[in-house]
Amino acid sequence: MGIPREAYDAFQSIVGSEWVSDDPAICAADYKGGAATGIRDKGSVRPACSIQPKSSEEVRRIVKVCNRFSLPYVPTSTYFSATCAPNRDNTVMMDLKRMDKFDIDYKNMYAVVEPGVSFSMLQAELFKRDLFTFVPGCGSQASVLANNLHIGDAPMGWRVGLGYRRLLACEWVLPDGELLKLGSRSYLKDYFWGEGPGPDLRGLLRGNGGPNGGLGTVTKLAVKVFSFIPKQLEPQGIQPKTTFKLPEERMRWYNARFPSLEQTLDAIYELGRCEIGFIVMHVDPIFGYIARSRGKGANFFWQEWDKAKETLDRKQGWLRVLLTGFTSEKQLVYEENVLRDVVTDYGGELRPARPLDETHLQSADAIAANAIGRRFYSIIYFESVDAGLAVGRADAKIKERYTPPLADTYGLPGWIVPYDFAHVAKQELLNYGDVDDVEYLSELHNECRKNDIKIGAYPYMEDPDLFGPFCFNYHQKLRGFKAIFDPNNVSNPPKPLTRN
Amino acid sequence: MKLEDYIHDAKGCVRCSNCKFIDHIWVQSARFARQCPINMKYKFNLYSASGLLHSAVGIMENELEFTPRLLDALYKCTLCGACDIRCKRNLDLEVLSVIETLKARCVEVGKGPMLEHKVVKENIETYNNQYGFPHMNRLSWLTSDVRSVSKVDMLYFVGCTGSYIDNDIAQAASKILTHTNTEFMVSPDEWCCGYLLYSTGQLEAFKRQVEHNIRMVKELGVSSILVTCAQCYKTWKVDYPKVLGKSTDDMNFKVVHIVEYLAELIKEGKLSFKNRIDMKVTYHDPCNLARLAEPWFQWQGEHRRMGVLEPPKTFRRGDGGVYQQPRYILTSIPGIEFREMERARDNALCCGGGAGVSLSFSDFALWIASERLEEAKATGAEAIVTACPTGKRILSEAARQGKGNIKVYDINELILKAIL
Repeated sequence: MGIPREAYDAFQSIVGSEWVSDDPAICAADYKGGAATGIRDKGSVRPACSIQPKSSEEVRRIVKVCNRFSLPYVPTSTYFSATCAPNRDNTVMMDLKRMDKFDIDYKNMYAVVEPGVSFSMLQAELFKRDLFTFVPGCGSQASVLANNLHIGDAPMGWRVGLGYRRLLACEWVLPDGELLKLGSRSYLKDYFWGEGPGPDLRGLLRGNGGPNGGLGTVTKLAVKVFSFIPKQLEPQGIQPKTTFKLPEERMRWYNARFPSLEQTLDAIYELGRCEIGFIVMHVDPIFGYIARSRGKGANFFWQEWDKAKETLDRKQGWLRVLLTGFTSEKQLVYEENVLRDVVTDYGGELRPARPLDETHLQSADAIAANAIGRRFYSIIYFESVDAGLAVGRADAKIKERYTPPLADTYGLPGWIVPYDFAHVAKQELLNYGDVDDVEYLSELHNECRKNDIKIGAYPYMEDPDLFGPFCFNYHQKLRGFKAIFDPNNVSNPPKPLTRN
Repeated sequence: MKLEDYIHDAKGCVRCSNCKFIDHIWVQSARFARQCPINMKYKFNLYSASGLLHSAVGIMENELEFTPRLLDALYKCTLCGACDIRCKRNLDLEVLSVIETLKARCVEVGKGPMLEHKVVKENIETYNNQYGFPHMNRLSWLTSDVRSVSKVDMLYFVGCTGSYIDNDIAQAASKILTHTNTEFMVSPDEWCCGYLLYSTGQLEAFKRQVEHNIRMVKELGVSSILVTCAQCYKTWKVDYPKVLGKSTDDMNFKVVHIVEYLAELIKEGKLSFKNRIDMKVTYHDPCNLARLAEPWFQWQGEHRRMGVLEPPKTFRRGDGGVYQQPRYILTSIPGIEFREMERARDNALCCGGGAGVSLSFSDFALWIASERLEEAKATGAEAIVTACPTGKRILSEAARQGKGNIKVYDINELILKAIL
């Protein structure tokens, strides 16, 4: 099998011969790997070619060719999500890494990014002007554009919310190759405002996990950025131990321990009501063990984690808070006082933590979770803080049946990261398996999902065909959108519908 | 040391793409955020550690052959190791070893190396040096004011480039050693260290060099090998024990780069600088002296479940490189104003001089070098200093081609200016 010569020639004429290839090695490097390998990419097949456009216009022309020859295409940027694994014969992988331009409007506090712009690239430039964007846990190598469309979550979301609060105007190449401009980009030719004048279809572009390339390709997106402190963070260290030294007069980390998880969550709600903090989250203690193992390897981790089985108080809750005096040093002092009061009120014990940041502000290391098993897989919900805990506990119970072969996480309910000052939270059950355990991870995932339906949870990246019948048959609506936007079913089919 | 020894590592890639970036904590601008030369230029995932690891799995599982683009990606990879330690910030994967053994497999099946690398092999086998000069001229660089003696404990292993091409470095180094009353010897029996053979996958030919040079050291009775070439340094310190199935600590000699030695002398007050050099300089960390300089720890054992290794293994993660000494030396020279590049120390961008890439793909190698010069210029430096003859050579060539209005020095040349 292969794509028609005429189509390939057309691709070459669009991007130049050096930016398209059907060499088997190029194609073989473009369909395996990524988060949730073996679960979200089941049935993936080697693509027929890989092509790298440089502009929206080139994307548009490529998509037109795909439609003319009925060739499925998958738009990708950094490809950390295995949802971009091709699953149809003759797929064209549209790798958007050459589209790496960005433009920051410092005065109006937004950045227009192309798909090839990664978080650390943008964050470093924003920090120079006392601005910031969030950095997702999956890593600062991820695409700013793709991640915002996907979900846009990060611990910094405590203050700045999820992606829905950040998307502004954009350019969108539809699955038929037409270019659609949303928000102010459509009429005023700038990106300042997402809602108009002009059409606003941003809900179609993201939602719970986004359409994953199933409804075309966003080639330029404006994202809101935020005010940061007027101080530069100081990088320190040699890999594997690198960190920012925080300016202590403006930024301080605190850890708090509570007698129970319920008290921890009550404290989180209270902190939300007080609207203090830059990052507030309940951490799964296993993260601390992973962090301490950096540079020491999996052997060291398991040695320590096995010991923890006896010593870890599983009823306790662990809160981690980064306070930041965005407006002044006095703000930091005020927030410290509030934090101290809240922790005391809810029976906790507060301790200052090291004035360092290794994994949140410009770098993120969720990938380290793969060090202790090589196949890390999360089961995630976006829920209220309380409900997140309930779901986490229910799923942890299910997980007992898969332990072993999956790593024993001691019945802990996982990581709870609240956003928007505790309006919503991510509950993430953290599961660690070996390469050969992917089937168990997959089964656990399915069983938890079935349980979710019963308890009415809001799972992340849910399976539309499974959940649709319980949620007003929304999968049928999705099918309708897919048919309207992608009549030839070429844009990462069958996304956003169920793949398997 | 074969590809299958690293199948766990190759399969462990989760395609996070961190191998393409410097440590994110150290990213200071979008312009200099990336670190993998082949990926910066060619962008396809194949042109990255991730792509090469997936290819290695494909080769091992007979799902893939050495295609033209795989050969292109593999032999344009400079083995700079940036991906290796970047990956090891989070995971326990021997990324560089996978790529090295993939090259070796490529040679085994007759698909590699590139033509120019075969010529190097012929030169080495015939003349004992990579350039094809007569072996008898190996010590022609020696000047009368250099005091080398026999029957001492330290051998100055000059390397092919210092011996035949860039005599200035060898002469400067030996004059510095003479000035500091260091007793050292040089050997007419020195053969090429074999760096190019190893890094292009020609392991059988490499072993011949290893055997000869180790025998030479034994016969000379030296226990310390002093080098001025970063590639010689890493080859002696890491690759020799590696192909012999030993750890660096098991070898009967110690490998020392001259910057390590001189930094100690400065600290002890045995070397000082009398001349001012009024110049803004930046330092380019040679890959093989910096992130790849750590000793090799031989490991043989089992990969157990959940990443556990039995027996436990010591990984080279890049934090033991020779980073501080050259900076200490440069900042000790009166008048020098030191400027750091954004991609420094473990995050340094390769100069393009590694793994024989400059021989087979000179335009690409010069592109990398010009990228490095751009970064150096962005610091406001008037000169870029390095500690590797190959690095100096390719950076100088890029500068000559007008890619950077900046001077290029080996660190020995500056030290010599400051003391004599």
